[in-house]
Amino acid sequence: MIQLLFFLLIGVALLSSLFFLVRRGSPRAEGDSRVLVDARKALDALQGGLLPEELVRRIFAKEDLDYVLSLKAPKTVRDLFIAERKKIALSWIAQVRTQISSLKSFHVGAARSHAKLGLRTEIQLACNFTTLLLACRALSMAIYVGGPYVAPSMVGATASAAAKICTISEQSLAFLNPVQLKPYASGSLTS
Amino acid sequence: MSSAPKRMDVEQARQDLCRRTLSDIQRPLDRLIYLASMRDYNTGVYHHDGLASRFTEEVACEALSDCHREAFQELVICPLDELVSQLDAYRSSTHTSPREFLTAWGRLEPYRVAVPVQTDPLSAEFLFSNFKIALAVLESQLDPRPVGLTA
Repeated sequence: MIQLLFFLLIGVALLSSLFFLVRRGSPRAEGDSRVLVDARKALDALQGGLLPEELVRRIFAKEDLDYVLSLKAPKTVRDLFIAERKKIALSWIAQVRTQISSLKSFHVGAARSHAKLGLRTEIQLACNFTTLLLACRALSMAIYVGGPYVAPSMVGATASAAAKICTISEQSLAFLNPVQLKPYASGSLTS
Repeated sequence: MSSAPKRMDVEQARQDLCRRTLSDIQRPLDRLIYLASMRDYNTGVYHHDGLASRFTEEVACEALSDCHREAFQELVICPLDELVSQLDAYRSSTHTSPREFLTAWGRLEPYRVAVPVQTDPLSAEFLFSNFKIALAVLESQLDPRPVGLTA
């Protein structure tokens, strides 16, 4: 009797794991629309607002610091300049980090349902996300301690890594773009 | 606003606006303030009678909005020394005394209402920060004693 119960329990356990595996293997076609919308917003914010080269260059431009120093302005002006630029630099890195985290959530949770990414791309993407988020944290700490001009090469590397992730995410979210319809050709309905 | 205006019409209106009006306003800061003044603060809709009579209200609104965004973008990426010069030149054009101007701008921060809608927050934050610094620079040139106008 105990043996029978034991085998029944094993059977139930196996059936339930099979059920969960099957459910996990066939994702819902509609996916999670909220994750998709968030990912699209994150991508737009990164590409349109945070990563344009000119803006990043301007935020971290040393010429502005040189200009303020050349003015022989009072210390209060120099301090104000450094404090303001530090605030903006930290805000930039925090926003990049937030948007990248949002894209990461999309890739972890929903990309498999929607995107046709290969295993190699997915592994590459996972590595890129981890490296970038760590780099963001390191850069944030460096700026916090040493000011906005402490690691210009790190800023450039972070921006290009984020841009690379945007390009891959763009492919994953391409299905959300409006369909490019071919122009109507006369006779196409009759043929 | 009945329907979205055609992009081609908006582009024509934009060119018209640049040729007839904005070409006389050289500095991006002046253009930003001028274009922001064309916008109704209650509705966010831009009005320009001349442009609307040549095109339509909707097309004129879109064209003004495009030009406003352009002026903003130009100003966001302009170096700090240029922004200081532009602010000083704008101050001169208003015929206000430097001290009065700097005090009013420091307290009221009128640049905050001059940004176009749907501007990304970081760009706006960056421009506001640059204005704050530019005001401090101009103030320091006005009076060698350090005073906390912008603090």
